[in-house]
Amino acid sequence: MEIILIALKDSLLLTVKLLCIILPLTISYEFLKHRQSVIEKKHFTFFGISGKGFVPLITGIIIGLTYGAGVIIYSLRTSHTSRKEAFLILLFLSICHAIIEDTLIFVVIGANGLVLIGFRFALAIVLTYLIYRSRLFNAQLDGFPGKD
Amino acid sequence: MESLYPTLKRGFLNGVSITYTMVKVIVPCYIAIEFIKHLGLIETISTFFKPCMGIFGLPGESALGLLAGYFINLYAAIAVITPLQLSSKDMTILALMLGIAHSLPIETGVTRQTGVNAWLMLTARVVFSLFSGIVVNAVWKLFL
Repeated sequence: MEIILIALKDSLLLTVKLLCIILPLTISYEFLKHRQSVIEKKHFTFFGISGKGFVPLITGIIIGLTYGAGVIIYSLRTSHTSRKEAFLILLFLSICHAIIEDTLIFVVIGANGLVLIGFRFALAIVLTYLIYRSRLFNAQLDGFPGKD
Repeated sequence: MESLYPTLKRGFLNGVSITYTMVKVIVPCYIAIEFIKHLGLIETISTFFKPCMGIFGLPGESALGLLAGYFINLYAAIAVITPLQLSSKDMTILALMLGIAHSLPIETGVTRQTGVNAWLMLTARVVFSLFSGIVVNAVWKLFL
């Protein structure tokens, strides 16, 4: 019986710690979503990902696939991002998403945050760049507007 | 500026609702692991998984956290890992592997919705998750 009580107390304590991380994130995320139209108008490309694709990308990096899913799916469908671009965004996100939340919750229980962020960002950037540059990828999905 | 308050409120409510979903996973998982520890089953599990977890330089019992993260979600993984009291290095490697691939059933569903090849993405995530674990373990041994 005592084990249950101790486990209950410890797990609730862990939850409170996680709440302190999650609240600021969800709040800043709502502010970002609010600014979506402003960011979409900017013109730039980042490894074949345009300004339009940047909102789902940033959303995914900050909040993650599960909770940011609504915005990611909505942005990808309404902004007419090409299939190629959608693939690049999802590829980047598959390696590197919810980077703030995931990292912080593991730092709370003792992981090294710098190693986590550094490795995931580096792997995602290298991989996205390689796929963007690869011949196979360019031959398979043609009609990408920003192709050089 | 008049939209400041509703935005703040939406963010706050989202955070609370995520935490509520989280509690429902964390508390049962945490209690389950404490029970397993109390019954002395950890050694058995540890020995069983030792050969495969050794590739990542992790103790055998950390396989429980990895599986919880892959199949349920990160919060379940954290609830499982915390009572195991791993070292900082083990925690970092495990966190990295879990960060790249987790909640696979749910997130593969999300990926499908975007119209991208979900199976390819799923394979890529698991492969890169295992790959990062091996690489970071090797690099860590070299430098520290």
